Amino acid sequence: MDLARGEITGLVGESGSGKSTLALTLLNAVPDPGQVTAGSVSIDGVGDVLSLKGKNLRRVRGASIGYVFQASQNSLNPLKPVGKQLLDLGRSHGQPDLRGLLHKARGLLDDMGLDAVRVLASYQHELSGGMRQRVGIAFALVLNAHVMILDEPTTALDMLTQASVMEIIRRVHAERRLTTLIISHDIGVIGDLAARMAVMYAGRIVEEGVTARVLASPRHPYTRGLLTAMPRIAGDIGEARPLPGRPPDLRSIPRQGCVFRPRCPLAIDACAAAEPPMTADGDHRFACFVATKEAS
Amino acid sequence: MIEARGITRTFDRRGGGMLERARVQALRGVDLVIPDRGAVSLIGESGCGKTTLGRILCGFEQFDGGDLLVDGESLRALRPKNRTPYFRRVQLVHQDPYSALNPTRTIGEILADPLALRARQLDADGAWAKARCAELLGLVGLDPDYVLPRYPHMLSGGMRQRVVIARALTVDPELLVADEAVSMIDVSLRLGILQLLRDLRDTAGVSVLFITHDVATARYIGDGGELYVIYRGMVIEHGSTETVIRRPAHPYTQSLLSAIPVLRGIEEPGPDRVVPTAPLDERVESAGCLFEPRCPFAAADCRAGVPALTHRGDTQQLHACLHPEHRSVVAVPVAGPVA
Repeated sequence: MDLARGEITGLVGESGSGKSTLALTLLNAVPDPGQVTAGSVSIDGVGDVLSLKGKNLRRVRGASIGYVFQASQNSLNPLKPVGKQLLDLGRSHGQPDLRGLLHKARGLLDDMGLDAVRVLASYQHELSGGMRQRVGIAFALVLNAHVMILDEPTTALDMLTQASVMEIIRRVHAERRLTTLIISHDIGVIGDLAARMAVMYAGRIVEEGVTARVLASPRHPYTRGLLTAMPRIAGDIGEARPLPGRPPDLRSIPRQGCVFRPRCPLAIDACAAAEPPMTADGDHRFACFVATKEAS
Repeated sequence: MIEARGITRTFDRRGGGMLERARVQALRGVDLVIPDRGAVSLIGESGCGKTTLGRILCGFEQFDGGDLLVDGESLRALRPKNRTPYFRRVQLVHQDPYSALNPTRTIGEILADPLALRARQLDADGAWAKARCAELLGLVGLDPDYVLPRYPHMLSGGMRQRVVIARALTVDPELLVADEAVSMIDVSLRLGILQLLRDLRDTAGVSVLFITHDVATARYIGDGGELYVIYRGMVIEHGSTETVIRRPAHPYTQSLLSAIPVLRGIEEPGPDRVVPTAPLDERVESAGCLFEPRCPFAAADCRAGVPALTHRGDTQQLHACLHPEHRSVVAVPVAGPVA
C-alpha cells in the first residue's frame, strides 16, 4: 500500500487481521519470532527501512517515523514521570540539546490543550486516557517525525474523549503537514478521519481507495459486511446484519484460494481455487472474483 | 420489576499528586425503573457512575442512600445477608470475556458448578443439569458438542461472550446487567451479541440493563427500550431510546450524539453538532447544573440551582435542562451514492 504524502490513510481490520504487524513492519520492529520474509518499506529521503540496522534504524524511528502505540497507557513507564521518560527518549536517540527537546515537547502538549508543565511532572496513572493518548502523540512527534503511525488511537476511550482525540489528530496532522496512518478496528473512526482507506483481512489488503468511495460503494463482500454489521445511530435497525463466521485466525484461514471465502455470502467455485488478484477501477482496488466480474 | 429510588453513593478518593484527596459523588440520587422483560440503557462517559449503578443493582456495591425495590419489596429494610436471594435474580455480563472465564477450565466445567447449585435449589438431578446446559448453550447460539470440551482460549471473543451470557443464565435471573458487553468484541460480531441480548428478552424472559458509552449500540437491544443519560451521577435525560436519539433535549446528550464518528461518503455531520467547551473535571463543584461549566449554551440562571428532571417545552422525554432547544446533531445519511 501507498501512504499518500500529506494525507491521512486509514487501515481497518478485525483482531488477527495483521494490521498491527503491518504497522510494526513500517518501523522494522516486528517482534520475534516474526520475520519480514519479503518486500520493502520505502520512505521519502530514507530509502528501504527494512535494510537498516542498529544506529541508523534507531535514528529513522523517531526522526522520520513517529509511532503512537496501541493503548498508550501501557506504553508509558508507571514508575517515572512523563518528563523523565521524555529525557530518556532524547538520550537514547542521541539528542544533544535536551533542554530544547523539553521545550519542544512543552509546545506540542500546549498545542494539544494540555497543561504541559503539569503533565510532564505527572506519572501515567495521574493522567486520563485522553491525556495519555496525547502524550503518546507528543512523544511520537517530538523528534520531528514527518510520518505518524497511530495504532488504535481511540480504543478504550469513551465517545467524547474519542471525539477530542480525533480532532487533535486531525489538527496536528494538518498543522505539521504529516503523512499519517491510522490503524483501527472501528470503521467509524477510519471513515471519519481518513481521506484514503484500506481494508485488511487475514493478512491481506482486500480493498483500498478513497474513503468516501469505498464506503459509498464498497466492492469487497467483507467491506460490505463490516458496514452492515456496524451499529449505526441513524437508519433502519432491521437492515443491520452480523457477519457470519468467526474472525480470521492464522490456524484456520484457508491455505488456498480467497481468505474470506469461509464467511463470504457470494463465494463461487473460483474462490476456492486461487487467491483473487487486486483489480483496479480507477484508484479503487479490490481483491474479489465476484466484484471483478460485476465491474466488467 | 426492579426499581431504584434516589440511589446515592459516595467514594473517598485516595491518592495525591494532581488529584487532591476528595470525596467523589458517584451517584447523586438516581431513579431508575427496569420493567419485566424490558430493555433499559444507561449511557454516559467514563466516570459518570453508570458502572457503579450497575454494580449496586448486582449487589457488588453498597449504596449510601435511597432504596432498591424488587417487585415492590424494599431491600433497604433487609439486612445485607438477607438480600442475597434477590441478587441471584440479577446477573452481570462482564465487559471482558477474555478475563471473565477461567482459562484452566473447559466450558463444560465452567457451566457445571452454577448448574449444580441451581439443581440443588430446585431439587433436580444431574440429568436435569446436563439437559439445561445444552438448552442454555442453544439459547445463546452455541453448539454444545463444539464448545463444551473446549477451553476459553479456543473460542473467538464473540463465542466467549456468549458463554459468559449462558453462565449468567444458569441461575435463572430476571435481569441481565450488561456493562459494555460488546466493547471488547470484534466489530463484525458485535451486532450478533446485541441481537442475542434483544432476543433473550423473549426466549429467556429476562430484562436487560445495557450500560454503554456508545449510544448507537443502545438502539439494537430492542423495541420499546428506555434510555437514561447519566452525567456525574445524575440522570439528566430519560425517555424512549428512539425519542432521545432523534430529539435529544439536553446539551450533554446532544454532545454525546455529536461525538459519534461520521462515515465519509455515506453520511454528513449533523448541522448543529455540540462540543463541550471543556473536558470533564470532577473537582469542579457547582451549585447549579453540573454540566454548566462545560455547556456552550449556559445562561446565568443555570448557576442558580440544580435543574429538576422534568418535562420542559414540548419534549416527550424527561430532561434536566432549563433551556432545551432542538438541535440536529446526529449524522444524516447522504442521499444517493457519491460519484
